[in-house]
Amino acid sequence: MTAAVAPADTIAAGASAAGRRALRLARARGIVIAALGVAAFGFANATMQEQATFSFWIDQQGGQALTIPITVGALWIVTGVLTGIFGLYQLWRGASVRWRLWLALVLPLWIAATIGTLLSGKPATLTNLFAGSLEYAFPISMGAFAAMICERSGMFDIAVEGKLLLGACVASIAASVTGIVIVGPIVAAIVGMGVGLLMAWLAIRYRVDQIISGTVVNFGALGLTNFIYLRILQLNTDLNTPPTVEAIQIPVLSHVPVIGPILFAETPYVYIAIVTMFVLTYMLFRTRWGLRLRAAGEFPQAAGTVGIDVIKIRYRAMIIAGALAGFAGSYLSLSSAGSFQMNMSAGKGFIGLAAMIFGGWNPIGAFGAALVFGFSDATQALLSILGVDVPPQLLTSVPYLVTIVVVAGVVGRVRGPAMAGQPYEQA
Amino acid sequence: MNALRTRLRPIVIPTLAIVAAFVVGSIFLVLTDIDHMKSLASDPVGAIAGSLGAVGHAYMALIIGAFGDPAKFAIALNGGTDKQWATAIRPLTETLIAATPLIFTGLAVAVSFRSGVFNIGMDGQFILGALFATIAAIALKGAPMPIILLVALVAGMLAGGVWGFIPGFLKARTGAHEVITTIMLNYVASQVVLFSLRLEFLRQSNSTQPISKVIKDFVQVPMMLPLPGLRLHWGFVVALLAAVVVSWLLFRTTRGFELRSAGLNLTAARYAGMSAGGSIILAMVVSGFLAGLGGAFQVLGTVGQMSNDVNAGFGWNAIALGLLGGLRPAGVVAAALLFGALRNGGGLMQVETSIPLDLLVFLQALVIMFVAAPGLVRTIYRLRQPAPEGGAPVEEGAAA
Repeated sequence: MTAAVAPADTIAAGASAAGRRALRLARARGIVIAALGVAAFGFANATMQEQATFSFWIDQQGGQALTIPITVGALWIVTGVLTGIFGLYQLWRGASVRWRLWLALVLPLWIAATIGTLLSGKPATLTNLFAGSLEYAFPISMGAFAAMICERSGMFDIAVEGKLLLGACVASIAASVTGIVIVGPIVAAIVGMGVGLLMAWLAIRYRVDQIISGTVVNFGALGLTNFIYLRILQLNTDLNTPPTVEAIQIPVLSHVPVIGPILFAETPYVYIAIVTMFVLTYMLFRTRWGLRLRAAGEFPQAAGTVGIDVIKIRYRAMIIAGALAGFAGSYLSLSSAGSFQMNMSAGKGFIGLAAMIFGGWNPIGAFGAALVFGFSDATQALLSILGVDVPPQLLTSVPYLVTIVVVAGVVGRVRGPAMAGQPYEQA
Repeated sequence: MNALRTRLRPIVIPTLAIVAAFVVGSIFLVLTDIDHMKSLASDPVGAIAGSLGAVGHAYMALIIGAFGDPAKFAIALNGGTDKQWATAIRPLTETLIAATPLIFTGLAVAVSFRSGVFNIGMDGQFILGALFATIAAIALKGAPMPIILLVALVAGMLAGGVWGFIPGFLKARTGAHEVITTIMLNYVASQVVLFSLRLEFLRQSNSTQPISKVIKDFVQVPMMLPLPGLRLHWGFVVALLAAVVVSWLLFRTTRGFELRSAGLNLTAARYAGMSAGGSIILAMVVSGFLAGLGGAFQVLGTVGQMSNDVNAGFGWNAIALGLLGGLRPAGVVAAALLFGALRNGGGLMQVETSIPLDLLVFLQALVIMFVAAPGLVRTIYRLRQPAPEGGAPVEEGAAA
């Protein structure tokens, strides 16, 4: 009883082995963070003369701009001071600090300061950076939603990648053949549903390990789409020149200064992702369907005992997930790229899985995580457009490394559905 | 008769799986045969027959490319010269060369999957093995050849091992799912390779392609056959030895027993006092060693020059052939020979019929699917369910 009411740092002072370890960890964290704060002052010293110009479009692309000129050194000083305070506070208070919240405050400053340094005087338009983050986040967030529905129902879905790729391929062909844009996403979603059904059938009917069936789909999709590209699309380019999905300006909102061009002048995909996020949150946590879905993933035997058809729920979940992932794939070929290219998903499906874990199997969290990955992609695009002298390989690796760090739980250990990936025997 | 049936049982499902995959593959070939399909409305019989003929032609080229042309064998057998013999057996030796990296990566799959760790990172481990073998070779240029060779092989093996250790360690310490971390590390590895191949130290100076200096001139795994024009090197034999070692490690040592126990039931293994984390890390490191060594042999023996596509999907093929071989070292070798034949024959098929090699990737995915779902194969061929027996961990759909 006393342990429960004592302040956290008294527990950490040595009551238990776990407490001691937490304290040691917190101390180490504090030292590292404080050292980073000092390092920031070092950077400040080197960049005192450097000017950075961040600007935002006020009303529309190429119109009037809101420009924020700032000395990079000053930015580093602010970063250093805050990071130092954070580190010292962490050292002083030990394990009781809500360090993740602090991290969320300090990290953007680090990113801004780093970008400012890398730009070395070149002016950057941040409207495109933020709008681009939303765009890039789309396939990742949809992939995360798809995988989330599966895992909540007790199925692993590592095949998001393959479904994205197949979706991209068939969407391009369907839209090119018919000449109607909307056909692409619809056909992609239908193909995705078919793949989801196939995977569910293999896993449930034939007890194929879900990791293996996922690998089959990823691998098969890569082989099949490459094959189709080389055998058909490369020679018949008319089958791979789809009409593209254009950005839609939302009437009033897109004229809100600064925010309008970022949030309300996107392709429909972005709006769909945001709507899906809210709908899915509601569906998962506020409807009977969601309750049953989660029961099937957490404790299928109990769900089965009260008469819920676990098998049916899992089939349905896999089909819905397939539709979402296939639809997301259509973005790849119909939006920015304008045609299907070999292996154009480039790991986005796997990054979606990481976003799902990062977001704690929760739609809003996953969307936030996808935005982080999207931001990293957009930054990369910005830096390469401006011709900043950073090895492109290093920049390309960043999202992958972030994924590893995220999955390894440095950002915090999260618990997924208990029975994900376990076959269920229906009585 | 009954004994024979028992002996043949492990082969039945894989064989039928391959046949089924090829049948599905030919359906796709027919469907994607645009030229013939265009005349489907006017002349359906001719169109179907024509495209089926094309499929037959393609599969024929595949077989000849993999095993050699009987006509050339006939010439060689009638008192042929060295050169004629070389021409006749060249496709066969090329198949063995293609199988060599597949044996290494397939063994890597067998070790990790048997231990319950889904190492999908063979691609990265393989390519880094190749990269570090190249770096070691170029750094030691001028030293006696056997020393360069040995150091380069060890360097490649260690590089693969390190790349396997990272996800193993993360899995053991933080529970990070190895499927995601290894795939991410694959992407990182290919970026590391692209980055390294731009360095002055490695770069082929007069080329804009991401390729390294040619190391064939001063280091080369010795050749097995004295005939001209044949590239078969002793790496193939080392691969076979590696299969023996892996077999011994998995089935004859305490460590191997622990690994397999962890693969069958991690919780039970832990209660029996085995270190679960240790097993995961060990399995990943050994797996990485094998893949890295495969990469080293590929660059030191077969291609003689590092490039960013030196891995050419060996890592992915490995998963298919590992499962096809039932995760048994002997099975892996057999499956690797088959896939080597496909890969090598696919080259001729691509040249003769311009059917992309990627068809084989798709076929391999189908093979994995059919092998992983024995029930599906039995349904297709209307086979009876065999008497239950203890199967390999992943085949019967045990949880990861």
